[in-house]
Amino acid sequence: MRYNRGMVYLDYAATAPMLDEVREAMYEAEQRYFANASALHTPGHLAMNEIEKARGLLAELIGAEPEEIIFTSGASEANNTVIRTFEGCEIETSPLEHHSIIETAERYRGEALPKLYSYMLANNETGEILDLPEIDRSEFSGSPLFEVVTDWGKPLVTDRRKAYLHSDLTQALGKISLNVKELGLDYATFSAHKIGGPIGVGALYVRKNVPFKPLIIGGNQEGKRRGGTYNTVGIIGFGAALEKLKQERTWEKYDTEVRALRDELAKRILTEVAGSSLNTDLTPGKSLPNILNVSFVAAEGESIQLYLDAEGIVVSTGSACASGDTKPSHVLMAKTGDAEVAHSSVRFSFGLDSTAADVEKVMSVLPRVINLLQNISTVKMEDK
Amino acid sequence: MENQDWIYSETVKEHFLNPRNYLMGDESAFDYDAVGQVGNPVCGDQMRMYIKVTDGKISDIRWKTYGCASAIASTSALSELAKGKTLDEALKIDAEAIDDYLGKLPKHKFHCSVLGHDALREAIEKYRTSQPGSAKS
Repeated sequence: MRYNRGMVYLDYAATAPMLDEVREAMYEAEQRYFANASALHTPGHLAMNEIEKARGLLAELIGAEPEEIIFTSGASEANNTVIRTFEGCEIETSPLEHHSIIETAERYRGEALPKLYSYMLANNETGEILDLPEIDRSEFSGSPLFEVVTDWGKPLVTDRRKAYLHSDLTQALGKISLNVKELGLDYATFSAHKIGGPIGVGALYVRKNVPFKPLIIGGNQEGKRRGGTYNTVGIIGFGAALEKLKQERTWEKYDTEVRALRDELAKRILTEVAGSSLNTDLTPGKSLPNILNVSFVAAEGESIQLYLDAEGIVVSTGSACASGDTKPSHVLMAKTGDAEVAHSSVRFSFGLDSTAADVEKVMSVLPRVINLLQNISTVKMEDK
Repeated sequence: MENQDWIYSETVKEHFLNPRNYLMGDESAFDYDAVGQVGNPVCGDQMRMYIKVTDGKISDIRWKTYGCASAIASTSALSELAKGKTLDEALKIDAEAIDDYLGKLPKHKFHCSVLGHDALREAIEKYRTSQPGSAKS
């Protein structure tokens, strides 16, 4: 499946184009599973069965139990839900987190225990794979978070600890093999549109017996953990994308085929483009195999992005210039501490449909674009 | 690629893809009388306007830019607008004039045309103060 003949799409980390299997499953779902999945009648049951299939698939792929999966409107909602569960508590995040973690944590963090750690496993901009922190798992009981009970008066939180661990696995899903139990996670975030599913669907893994507060209240859906009518069609689309992950063991293809493309592009950029430097460590295990972040001395990222766009090559940049309030990527700032490096960065992110011809096309355009920008730049190459 | 609309006007696109009057490579390649500079690469955009003045008119002009598409298009457009103008006329080319010439930048990019204007004004002021007998800036 190729969108738009002639386009070289290398922005999979922003959104992967929808898989044919997903589109077909959603089209069928629109007709067959239109009923409200919470309803007790047959069409409702049929819809719910499909939702449960998707839930089971995600659980199986990440080593969780189906009842530990909550479907959400996306990764940002899942991230917000976890952070706001720990409102008033200590919250520690890595500086590389998505804004839906950083900004939510800034607003809701306090000083109480238990403490929440939120560390993404793989970063969306550089692809870096992070070490998850060691957390204090010793027992602790003095928190109102632990006093939540079920409708039958049973305590919901029986796993009472000083600290809990959340990880945003949005970029990692499908790219590397994952097991939430082996990673020691209490919470994990997922998104459908990064793996060829629809935009507007995500999921949250919540380990049994840990603290949880619903973000959307008012409804029995998702075991009272997330109100709102089930997004049956979207969840079925997510399920179809997950099915493909499972059947094709995509993480193996990423490790071989996609890695080879990414590394080839990196090698050629370093040899053929003056003033280029990698912001991604290509060592296996140090980064996702599909992301390559590069900076080009004296060339500004948005201009690079748009010159490439004009030639049908789609990438993203860590430079955002708007309203005179030019904020470079917080991730590259945290990694390099150099605003110029951040402003001059471009991210190439590959998918399973990427080809050697894509790399070739990039290299037939990129050196010329960078050369022009460097030559008209106020920043001198030799100053660097 | 399919013929899709950019968020930019045709004129912005045209000036970005085919910029006019840019100064390629070393600035000594252009025999200029004054240069004005605004912005900072750390902030994501920096512009420099180089002017050559003959008989009170901008007889030639070049620029350099480290910045986004709007920054490049703004400096390119400004160089076209200012060429051949007297210094007083050139000073009147404000950010709105650049924006109008370009067929309107997206709102969040308007500051790029402001920077272009400021760079040219600085070049003209520097030129004037450098002239013998100049009392005011």
